[in-house]
Amino acid sequence: MKRIVLLLLVGIFFLILQASCFPFFPIHRVRPDLLLIFTFYLAFLFPPISGGILAFIMGYLTDLFSGNAMGFYVFSRSLVFFTAYFLKGRIYLEGFYSQFLFAFLFALLEGVFILILMNTFQSVPLAKFHPLFFTSLLPQSFFTGLFTPLFFFLFGKGSLLWFSQPGKGVKEKG
Amino acid sequence: MRIRDFFLSRRYSLPIFIVLFLLFALVLMSLRAKQRKGVDFFDALLMEICSPFQKGATLAIKTVQGTFQRYLFLINLEEENRILKQKIAQLQEENHQMKEIKLANERLRELLQFREKKPSSMVGAEVIGQDPSSWFKSLTIDKGERDGVKKGMAVISPTGVVGQILKTAPDYAVVLLLTDYNSAIDSVVQRTRAKAIVEGKGENRCQLKYLLRTDEVAVGDVVITSGLGGNFPKGLRIGEVRRVDKRGHGVFQYAELVPSVDLTQLEEVFVIMEPLLPSPPKEEKGKKEKKTKK
Repeated sequence: MKRIVLLLLVGIFFLILQASCFPFFPIHRVRPDLLLIFTFYLAFLFPPISGGILAFIMGYLTDLFSGNAMGFYVFSRSLVFFTAYFLKGRIYLEGFYSQFLFAFLFALLEGVFILILMNTFQSVPLAKFHPLFFTSLLPQSFFTGLFTPLFFFLFGKGSLLWFSQPGKGVKEKG
Repeated sequence: MRIRDFFLSRRYSLPIFIVLFLLFALVLMSLRAKQRKGVDFFDALLMEICSPFQKGATLAIKTVQGTFQRYLFLINLEEENRILKQKIAQLQEENHQMKEIKLANERLRELLQFREKKPSSMVGAEVIGQDPSSWFKSLTIDKGERDGVKKGMAVISPTGVVGQILKTAPDYAVVLLLTDYNSAIDSVVQRTRAKAIVEGKGENRCQLKYLLRTDEVAVGDVVITSGLGGNFPKGLRIGEVRRVDKRGHGVFQYAELVPSVDLTQLEEVFVIMEPLLPSPPKEEKGKKEKKTKK
């Protein structure tokens, strides 16, 4: 329980960081999606039920603070969590390149999925998004991928420091 | 019995949980889509819990940024000061001319017995956060229902239109920016009075839609609010036309618009508390009074 509450607070901290600090960066559009990286972390190292609930809450909070009136992220983040959870045993995810590629592809797919949802539920024509693919979606996915190994390293170090038994840390089985 | 066994079996419990979980997320999404009236109690509560932290983080960043900008990055200050003084002189002259025009306008309006506009009341708010996602464009401000902020109210800055209130909590509110895909504002091209709808295009760009092909629009034209939507008062600057696209055929032409407000650098905004509805003209008022006396 302590672990869940702690990770929830970490998630909220990332949300605040993404909403308050990253917009001050000079290149506004290429901020990495920290909450997506956090969702991957939960998927790789957390049991499906508690991790799924955390991913759901993170999606819910993202929807709450965004201009998205429908709640797309509640669905997309839960879906990302479970897809990543089932893929983790099938893909080698220890090195920098594999983690980068995994996060890059997932960020790209989630972006496309959100666009499809916007097109379906909010009648925003897909043609409107064509220019954004190269100017926004690709660079952002790239940066999310680039930051993923770094954050995984930091998360690993953080869990080692926080939990006295590193093996037990967050690597419990669901 | 078999169904019960199926649900309780360890083999299927996880897939069932996942399916139910995703279904719940879908139901939540459809519920939000149906309501569209704002956030409910739970959403407001969560917003109230998280927003103070967001406000604190923004304050800390602004302090650090301010320290750098006010004390360290002062290299071109003298040059900037000279340019600003020139601009002040130019604006003072312009202001003087505007005052003259305003007085003349008031006299003419009186002669024509135009309807008077009610003075609007505005409340200043601080921007405490931006949209955490990349696809939607919104801001979080530190004024909410307790300050009289309601969904749909217009949000402006000294340089022009910012957007409108999307969600409200007791002390905080989310503003949908005019660049968001879901934003639409009724507008007029200032020079030619051509009517159109300004729709968001995502990356600090808007599009003028439903602009008749016969209407004259040129690059550099200023677009203002028409006041027809009800939320925005007439005459607020929205942006400037950057590109005109007269496609081969069709009734309409399209134009790309750059907002007059730099939405990425906003720190303070104003919420217009009441829509500027015109009051009945003086003559009609007089007639009504006479009728009631009778």
